[in-house]
Amino acid sequence: MTNPAPPAAEDLSTPPKPLAAAITPLPTFQPDLYQRAWSSIPHPTLPLLATAHAKSVTVFSLATFTKHSALTGGHARSVRTAAWQPPRGGTNNAGGTTNTKRLGLVTGSFDATAGMWSYDADTTTTRVDDDNDDRLLEREIRFGQDENENEQDKNEEEEEKEWEFNLVLEGHENEVKSLAFSPGGQYLATSSRDKSVWIWEDVSAGGADGNEDEDEWETVAVLSEHDGDVKAVAWCPSHLANAAGKRRHYSADVLASASYDNTVRVWREDADGEWVCVAVLEGHQGTVWGLQWEGRERGDGRFPRLLTFSADGLIKVWSLREEEEEEEEEGRQQEGNPFRAGFGGIPNTMRRSPREEWDCTAVLPKVHTRDIYSVSWSADTGLVASTGSDGVIVVYAEDDDSTPEDVVMSSPGGAEGAAENGTAGLKSNWRVLGTVSNAHGPYEVNHITWCKRFDPGTERRGKEEMLVTTGDDGVVRPWQVRIS
Amino acid sequence: MERDLDNANPTILNVSQLPSRTRKGIAARHGPDSRCDSVVYPKSHWPYGSSSSSDEGDGDGEEPVDEQDIYDLISTISDPEHPHTLGQLSVVRLPDIHLSPSPAELSDRDSLVTVLVDLTPTINHCSLATVIGLAVRCRLEQTLPPNYRVDVRMKDGTHAQDDQVTKQLADKERVAAALENDTLQRMVDKMLETCA
Repeated sequence: MTNPAPPAAEDLSTPPKPLAAAITPLPTFQPDLYQRAWSSIPHPTLPLLATAHAKSVTVFSLATFTKHSALTGGHARSVRTAAWQPPRGGTNNAGGTTNTKRLGLVTGSFDATAGMWSYDADTTTTRVDDDNDDRLLEREIRFGQDENENEQDKNEEEEEKEWEFNLVLEGHENEVKSLAFSPGGQYLATSSRDKSVWIWEDVSAGGADGNEDEDEWETVAVLSEHDGDVKAVAWCPSHLANAAGKRRHYSADVLASASYDNTVRVWREDADGEWVCVAVLEGHQGTVWGLQWEGRERGDGRFPRLLTFSADGLIKVWSLREEEEEEEEEGRQQEGNPFRAGFGGIPNTMRRSPREEWDCTAVLPKVHTRDIYSVSWSADTGLVASTGSDGVIVVYAEDDDSTPEDVVMSSPGGAEGAAENGTAGLKSNWRVLGTVSNAHGPYEVNHITWCKRFDPGTERRGKEEMLVTTGDDGVVRPWQVRIS
Repeated sequence: MERDLDNANPTILNVSQLPSRTRKGIAARHGPDSRCDSVVYPKSHWPYGSSSSSDEGDGDGEEPVDEQDIYDLISTISDPEHPHTLGQLSVVRLPDIHLSPSPAELSDRDSLVTVLVDLTPTINHCSLATVIGLAVRCRLEQTLPPNYRVDVRMKDGTHAQDDQVTKQLADKERVAAALENDTLQRMVDKMLETCA
């Protein structure tokens, strides 16, 4: 390897290496749902959690672990998943133009549609002068606590009216399995058993002007290259993609999809505005149930990695082969790679590689004995948590000082491909910090997510992360995670 | 219902030829006589956890589930196109049912038990293989406790699209969605009518 190893990472103040995680249950969200619940999605900033079960969504307060509101009546079949809509007109930190009083949620259902809902927080809370997230957050918390037991029935009735079903997105032929907003909120991706991914663009007249009542979305792409159900879609965090973005001939938005056909595909919008598949990640031996982008900025400035998990019981991490390496390789591998050799004489800026090369650079230690249904990769801590059919929760940490030898030893059948094609130096090694068996008793666990704590039990409200699992028993269970 | 049967002349076993228990009486396991909805959306909370499981009372004296019990649960399912049961048609065979680990060895009732059932459809291009598999999975999930994980497969080489059918039947999401399809649900319900 001629790669000069940049020792810059040493300069960053790294926290002490985590050795173990103590994972202990917190009181479950109330009420129990008494029926299979599929997933629980935390709001990106507010203390709210949306749980999809049967034909509805129950929104829980993270301050009180009790029901906040419910979305019912919009779907003819089970709701599989939900996604919170990013505020229109940019993030709040930019200052000003957002309307944080309106919550937006989109639901994906087995009835082949996606539904867009809104909740006007103003109707339930007193007006305050400045509408920044923190104040709304405070009000939500107070609101949750005010709701005492004997008034609950009345409150529930009122609350359920407050979620309005605004728009139905029709087009998929079969069950919608996953959906995700692009980081800026401009695009929504939906995926289905019909093997396609649809990308919808927000063309609402109001847009950034805050005329939020007119939801209007149009289809800008139908991606049909998968050979099976598309189980999950996820957008790359844009601030990270831009920071690492040397591929200027593409737009910033990057989408990845995971499928029943055992593959993962990466999609970008090219210079002509066409959404194209730029990479196929092959290696899993079963349905790829989902994927997670790395959400934490990397010390070496590299492009965010992609984590995938599968019915084969494995979790894999993939890294984009970036351009400097590709050039370096050309010298060495020209013969072995006829595809790239053809571009040899073209100046770098002119090159429009239609493909990206992604290499599997880690396989996490195998703990699960059955399908892995869900994995969450914390953008704060970089810790990974997984769960699935075996009902086990596992928390993993990445070693900073991984050596390729370690990887080869710990992951037979995994990352060997990377050794040949230049990403060997990017390999990482992962350790199991802790496990919980029978997290939902004998039941399967369908979903796990890292989630900020807002309950009175935390000393770092809005900062400390807990895990939330969602099971076939209809229980939504928070877990405290203490790293030592 | 005017359509050609996929297999007009299947081999049919006499009921007396079917495997049955000789050392103890026919299994007394009768699950809730409900639709598959109760599996997909269990109405009641299965008692579990260290505090409740040992106090529930039904742990003592109940014999552990064995392969014959599983056979008895699913061999009585009706074939969707013949007036016979899956046992009579040898779609379900006792030697093709495997429990691991054996429930007799379980230390607590949250420990997982895998039920592996290999089905032998009557002919090679049985278009109804998926429905049969769905009914078998449905019947077992409906009657067995929630620590049982049911894997239904098409026996190697018996069905032209073995792998696809097996993969579909292993996919929880697809199974759940299939049972929300009224037509499929009705077919499965009808097949399960003959189960005790």
